[in-house]
Amino acid sequence: MDRKKAVLFFILFFLLVVLAAVFFKNSGSERIKKSGEIPQPAVSAETPVQKTMKKVTLFFLREEDNQLVPEEREINADPSAVREAEEVVAELIKGSKAGLVSSLPPETRLAQLFITKEGVAYVDFSKDLIEKHPSGSAAEISTVYSIVNSLTYNFKPIKKVFILIEGEERETLGGHISLDHPFLPDYSLVVKE
Amino acid sequence: MTTKKMSRILCTTTSLVAGLTLILAAAGASGPKELKTIVIDPGHGGLDTGAKGKFGTMEKNITLAISFKLKALIEQNLPYRVILTRDKDIDVSLDNRSALANNNNAALFISIHANGSFRKKAQGSETFFMSLDASDEETRKLAYMENTSSELEKRIEEENKNEVKMILWDMAQSAYIKQSSKLAEITQEELSADPNLKTENRGIKQARFKVLTGVACPAVLVEVAFISNPDEEQKLVKEDFQKRIAEAVYQGLKKYTKLYS
Repeated sequence: MDRKKAVLFFILFFLLVVLAAVFFKNSGSERIKKSGEIPQPAVSAETPVQKTMKKVTLFFLREEDNQLVPEEREINADPSAVREAEEVVAELIKGSKAGLVSSLPPETRLAQLFITKEGVAYVDFSKDLIEKHPSGSAAEISTVYSIVNSLTYNFKPIKKVFILIEGEERETLGGHISLDHPFLPDYSLVVKE
Repeated sequence: MTTKKMSRILCTTTSLVAGLTLILAAAGASGPKELKTIVIDPGHGGLDTGAKGKFGTMEKNITLAISFKLKALIEQNLPYRVILTRDKDIDVSLDNRSALANNNNAALFISIHANGSFRKKAQGSETFFMSLDASDEETRKLAYMENTSSELEKRIEEENKNEVKMILWDMAQSAYIKQSSKLAEITQEELSADPNLKTENRGIKQARFKVLTGVACPAVLVEVAFISNPDEEQKLVKEDFQKRIAEAVYQGLKKYTKLYS
């Protein structure tokens, strides 16, 4: 009786093991099947998005002498110059990672950017660029040229930059420098090494 | 016939008188002529406070205080009438400031500001005059101005006249860049000459200031010290410092008027 019970138990246990093995094997193969299906598009999707980076140069202020200083940064490379230019502006707003002074209030948001055939980049900012701006000629000049130089320096198609606020042309940022025209870059404000 | 003769005589006498006064003026004699006007522009005002300091100083108040002192100095010592673009704490648009100068046939335009920067250590004084970017539009506008200014009225059709005037108005300052740079140079020299002012000499600079673009006479914008720098902010509120700034700008004006008018 006990023997019979033990044999039965053994058989049951054996069956269980076999079943389990089959089950896991199946589910395993299923998993493989699934992973054979899904990763393929995933892999093919990753190749174009595959993060190729592009080195860009941003211009920030130096505390000790009011000069603009280049700072290198990596952005995601994109076939569209507009996208890359947007990233450059976004990085400018984030501020320096090397202890330089940012000339854009951190609250500022980039609303839109487009580049005309004639090479004018229209850069449309949120009103924070005016409302959170400290005013003052020096402050306005550094804001304008950190934007203008950073865009023209990195993108050949951009020759000039027109600064807009909330989609509109504004007289000035804080009562000084006229925003009624597209700016050419001014590299004389950049430190000479 | 007689009227023609009369008018001819009248013409010769007037030209003689004009010539004489010119000679007299050149010789330095001051005839009983109408006073020329200097327009002083205290930056900002009203809701537009300008730059603000750590201790709450507002640029608009400093610029007005210095402008009053400068006005008094000119009126006491120079044969000029002085007009302020504002004499109290009110908003005046940038266009109206230059329009006031042009409507009063101003001989000189001085805009008084105090500076502000993102940099805490930024310090010193500087004098600006207008810049023209060498951009295509500017060159085109300037060429257009040169070609059109005299025959303008005849050649341009009625409906286009306003547009042309707008362009001329917009670019008025471009005709005075040389004089403005000289005025800036002299003013800046005086600002850095006073050893008691002790503000760093940041030199003369060019920038496209909205308030200067439409002014039809030599025009400069003086940035005295930085409100954003706490040390300079404390200087700017002092009566003595304001007086010295006004005195330096006044000396610059005096030198300039001696040399150029």
